[in-house]
Amino acid sequence: MVQTRISIHRTGLALMGAAFLAAAFSSSLLSAGPVEEERDTCLGCHGDQTASKDLPDGTKVSLFVDVSQLDKSVHGTRVKCSDCHPGTEEVPHPERPVKTFREYQASFREACRRCHFDNYTKTLDSVHYAQIAKGDFRAPFCVDCHGSHAITRPAQPKPDISKTCARCHEKIFEVYKKSVHGKAFVAHNPDVPVCTDCHKSHDIANPHSAAYRLRTPQICGSCHTNKAVMAKYNLSTDVLSTYLADFHGMSASLEKGQTKNQRAVVAVCVDCHGVHDITTVKGEGSRVVKANLLRTCQQCHKDASENFPAAWLSHYEPSWKRAPLIYGITLFYKVLIPFIIGGLVLQILLHLWRVVVNR
Amino acid sequence: MKAYVVRFSKQQRTEHVLVMSTFLVLAVTGFPQKFFEAGWSQAVVNGIGGLDRVRWLHRAAGVLFSLLCGFHIASAIFSVLLGKASFALIPSKKDFSDAITTLRYYLGLSNDQARFDRYDYRQKFEYWGLVLGGLLMVATGYVLLAPILVTKLFPGEVIPAAKVAHSNEGLMAFLVVITWHIYNAHLNPDVFPFDTAIFTGKVSRHRMEHEHPLELDRLDATKGDKKGE
Repeated sequence: MVQTRISIHRTGLALMGAAFLAAAFSSSLLSAGPVEEERDTCLGCHGDQTASKDLPDGTKVSLFVDVSQLDKSVHGTRVKCSDCHPGTEEVPHPERPVKTFREYQASFREACRRCHFDNYTKTLDSVHYAQIAKGDFRAPFCVDCHGSHAITRPAQPKPDISKTCARCHEKIFEVYKKSVHGKAFVAHNPDVPVCTDCHKSHDIANPHSAAYRLRTPQICGSCHTNKAVMAKYNLSTDVLSTYLADFHGMSASLEKGQTKNQRAVVAVCVDCHGVHDITTVKGEGSRVVKANLLRTCQQCHKDASENFPAAWLSHYEPSWKRAPLIYGITLFYKVLIPFIIGGLVLQILLHLWRVVVNR
Repeated sequence: MKAYVVRFSKQQRTEHVLVMSTFLVLAVTGFPQKFFEAGWSQAVVNGIGGLDRVRWLHRAAGVLFSLLCGFHIASAIFSVLLGKASFALIPSKKDFSDAITTLRYYLGLSNDQARFDRYDYRQKFEYWGLVLGGLLMVATGYVLLAPILVTKLFPGEVIPAAKVAHSNEGLMAFLVVITWHIYNAHLNPDVFPFDTAIFTGKVSRHRMEHEHPLELDRLDATKGDKKGE
């Protein structure tokens, strides 16, 4: 492996010496905090806009740190440079065996863990980390989503989250933008799900995994059973319970709890409604509008005929108006079962009583 | 004179064992699907080795049960055609009066006890409940097994209707079995702990005198005739 000397620009060296002296003075005389103290030292070199470094892969990387960005960041004066850049206290900095800038970033990848242990640990379960662990540094590190020197509070404003993901997942973002959720996102509607509402942020699961697919009803349900939010859009909150009451929902529930042989062939919300391209249920483009429903069923039930889609009650609770046959049968057994079992148990009790009396 | 009478034929005993086993498999693999949100359902499914296997077992046992039903009905039709049929299971007016007499006796309103023939009204009720309920379970079960085929001929609503009927009828059958049948075959003080008649085919004369006196009288009369010949 080619070792790289991270040597600082010549003017930088001179400035650094001066900065060291200045820092020593200011700390003793003005009693500035240790963060500012160290920062001033570092900026002695890294405050130089022309400071740069040539990497073995032939790229030239700027070493300049914009102090105004640091001031605006959430870390501000609470975090020292060396908290995130451990091992750089010595000047000149020890060599780092990196070929590219990305490898350099990777060498500091775990710096956040010291403070943000919970979220760091969550990322270990993520699909991104799985790539990083394989050595694929195209997957994001903390700083790729959160920023580094200009780090801000996440979800401020909320829709920016999706824009963050869009930097890599551009194609999906374009599809999402045209969906019923994405259109609201463009209109800055705060009710809309952004990427992380469904995919989570740190422990992003593989969306193609059976476990993730089987969690879909609960993921969608977290908003679609919220009466306050759904009332605004005149949407039913029975969608989850009616799904679960049907064959698909029952299968998905039992598959989800399975410890082995888990399969996710059963239809979940997204199989009928779409994922990133989800539309309103009405209108020509909808997969679940009556005119298109058969084709949607046929994705799985290839030989389904015209009558087949009516086997699904379209998220309606059975009632005399909707699905009277099903409502009627349910009601019939609600009366019959207690009547029959009650009668039989009564006869058993009477018999036992008689046996006791006869003795 | 023998101390017992042979009450059930080999065919009847075999049918009972087969119905009992399929019923057990159907209940164990069926209820986790009905009560899928319960923790025990998940435990049963995981114990059996997954939903796919549970469904396979349920369907296999269901097909076997339907074959048993078919065989039972076919053999009944044959025995009618051959003129060897017994109509002892057909409900009659006497069953209603027996039921009233028995209830009056249980309530202590009268000391008269109904004298039963080969099958009492409770046994007939259970038999017809099983046959008719079984046929409903078979019919709705096959609808659920082939929803694509069924909806080529019938409206789609038939599928969820079959599902609620199958699920409720199954629950009712199970509840009848664990209350009524378990009581009559096991917990009833007259037979406790185990009425073995349906497995051995034999019932003591003593029990016959109490439970099916009319049948015993008739059996003895026929034997007497034979002796007299």
